[in-house]
Amino acid sequence: MVKAVEREPTITPTVTPTEDKADVVLSVQGVSKKFCRDLKRSLFYGVRDIASEIVGVKGGSQNLRPQEFWALKDVNFQLRRGESLGLIGKNGSGKSTLLRIIAGLIRPDAGIVEINGRVAPLIALGAGFNPILTGRENIYANMSILGLSKQEIDRRFNDVLEFAEIGEAIDAPVQSYSSGMAARLGFASAIHTEPEILLIDEVLAVGDIRFRAKCHRRLQELRRQGTSFILVSHQPQLILNVCTQAVYLLKGEMMGSGEPSAIMNQYEEDLFSTGKQDKLGAVFIDSKGEGKSLGIDIISIFFRDSKGKIIESPLTGESVSLCINYKAYENREIDKVYVSFAIQEIGGEGNVVLRLSSFDDGEPLDVLPGRHELQVHLPNFALRPGLYTMQIYIKKDSLYTLDFFESFRFVVKTNRTMVQCLFYQPRTWSSVKKSDG
Amino acid sequence: MQETHKQSNKFKTRAVYTPESQVRHPLKLLRAMWRDLVGSRELAWQLMKRNISAQYRQSVLGVAWAVIPSVVTASLFTFARSSGAVNIGETDLPYPAYVLFSTALWQTFVEALNGPVLAVGQAKQMLVRINFPREALILTKLGELFFNFGFKLILIAGAFIWFQMPLSWSAILAPVALLHLVFLGTAIGVFLAPMSAIYQDFAKGLTVIATLWMFLTPVVYPNPRAGGGIFGTLVKFNPATPLLVTVRELTTTGIVSNPQGFWIASAIAIVGLLLAWLFYRLAMPFVVERMSS
Repeated sequence: MVKAVEREPTITPTVTPTEDKADVVLSVQGVSKKFCRDLKRSLFYGVRDIASEIVGVKGGSQNLRPQEFWALKDVNFQLRRGESLGLIGKNGSGKSTLLRIIAGLIRPDAGIVEINGRVAPLIALGAGFNPILTGRENIYANMSILGLSKQEIDRRFNDVLEFAEIGEAIDAPVQSYSSGMAARLGFASAIHTEPEILLIDEVLAVGDIRFRAKCHRRLQELRRQGTSFILVSHQPQLILNVCTQAVYLLKGEMMGSGEPSAIMNQYEEDLFSTGKQDKLGAVFIDSKGEGKSLGIDIISIFFRDSKGKIIESPLTGESVSLCINYKAYENREIDKVYVSFAIQEIGGEGNVVLRLSSFDDGEPLDVLPGRHELQVHLPNFALRPGLYTMQIYIKKDSLYTLDFFESFRFVVKTNRTMVQCLFYQPRTWSSVKKSDG
Repeated sequence: MQETHKQSNKFKTRAVYTPESQVRHPLKLLRAMWRDLVGSRELAWQLMKRNISAQYRQSVLGVAWAVIPSVVTASLFTFARSSGAVNIGETDLPYPAYVLFSTALWQTFVEALNGPVLAVGQAKQMLVRINFPREALILTKLGELFFNFGFKLILIAGAFIWFQMPLSWSAILAPVALLHLVFLGTAIGVFLAPMSAIYQDFAKGLTVIATLWMFLTPVVYPNPRAGGGIFGTLVKFNPATPLLVTVRELTTTGIVSNPQGFWIASAIAIVGLLLAWLFYRLAMPFVVERMSS
């Protein structure tokens, strides 16, 4: 009998990090960038910058001119072959600016960016697409802009076509395409340029869920082949799934860098100014105070076993309860709520593996003022062993969200044998004696 | 196979971005300029194919638009002159042929002038997203210009046959002079392109100047004789004059009336183009920065 191997709840980098410098494909050292809020002034500064570039004045003054601010300040990191880095931060924190500097579109005001290899921006889906021309013609134009020669495009053309799933429409003008089709074509062209470094800026939200899954698979495939990534996303799951390291930017400054789940914690702590998840399997959130509350706040999330004991990891096949402790305010007159959650596997293909909602089940839950617990009882917990992340919502109805937690991470363990199972199937075996036998 | 390709690529594409002015490393800068010019040929070819096929796919008259402006201008001036509305002196060639030939040349010059400014304006979305050799935009427009000139050439040839004008043997040298004329227009266009992406005033001003410039160049009237007051002086010191006149003379009479002026203007065009290219290259990253901030 084969003993089930417990899955490591961490993402194993495809390339073991070494101190070998030759492996570094991207190094960002002390990079800063100034931006100007006022348009007129910004244009004028642009002209002045051009003038000092031409005169050869040593660029990169460390002083801000009036109305300027640091869009990026002293950012440092390194990326090795096959590694992938997630950029985390709120809107306007400098993520896209950093990508644009790495792509060579704009110059840093301080610091050095060194790149070894072709950089392909997945920022630019279908840049250079001309709506009048056919998909076929646009693939050639688009991939040329991305730096491929005619022969290279010829070689990849069929792969692009197959990946984009455009079919017969390839010889129709792009303006007749649906937005999903155009995005697929753009993604397919960009991803087939086979770069050493791929810059991905929030573009994986294109297309239907099936195509998204395909994109994720393709990214994993490229990673195995040694392509490095820089990924900007607001989906924590995606960063956790794909990235081997993360950098957290806040107002252009690097607040932290390192292991993705630690950085993600730090980010979420700042973002929600709520509790952080120190260990997997339980989360405790500081109360945000009555002023900010919509009447009910999640204060902790964890699991209990069948005896009601708090456990760190649910066991596959066992009875388990997901518990959400809340604090409800008396004067808000919330008496019934619905709870929903969606679970994704970290390191998986980015699909939701389980989504449950008490609204869909037609089960409103009573809310009492004060601190109490909502439970969803899951007999025969079906998830296979692994590392998961869960989004949890408390809603007034199907749309109105009262409180939520973005990424509750937990490990599922097992003491059973599970080989080649995607989920746990409760079962009983028996041998039946037939009367006429 | 694929892997070796990737490897070879890896070493080709090493890049370092610093805030330091590129002018401080002139050798490196010149090498990079040359590399990008050579490297952008294929992209320019693809973009040219894209632009030309898109341009004519949405048009009934299609390539006829390459010659229509010249034909309209020529007919207008021929009519105005014959009806006595304007007083234009005698030309060496039959006037309709003269003005048709000249406006075709002038139109080509204006295309060279406007090309880079238009190219940068149209490629905004690409420029702010992808780091491709910026030279490709200029080459694309030059390619389109020569494509269009091909059709103008048919028109010019038609005029020569219709008016039974003899072709000088020196016509084979005319393309050189034409190239210098295109260089002059391109030099100014390339110089203005980054600025026009920052301030719209440049693009608007260029339209006004192009119209004015035509009247300071012997396009619809013959070369002014020596002297000729302020206007004559302006026409004489206009660098487009000797270039355009030389193309015309090489094709028809074979006698270049102002070789010295031609060579000075050619030097201005070629040196100007190189300087404009340098400026364009240095300025574009800053332009891209301001385009999207």
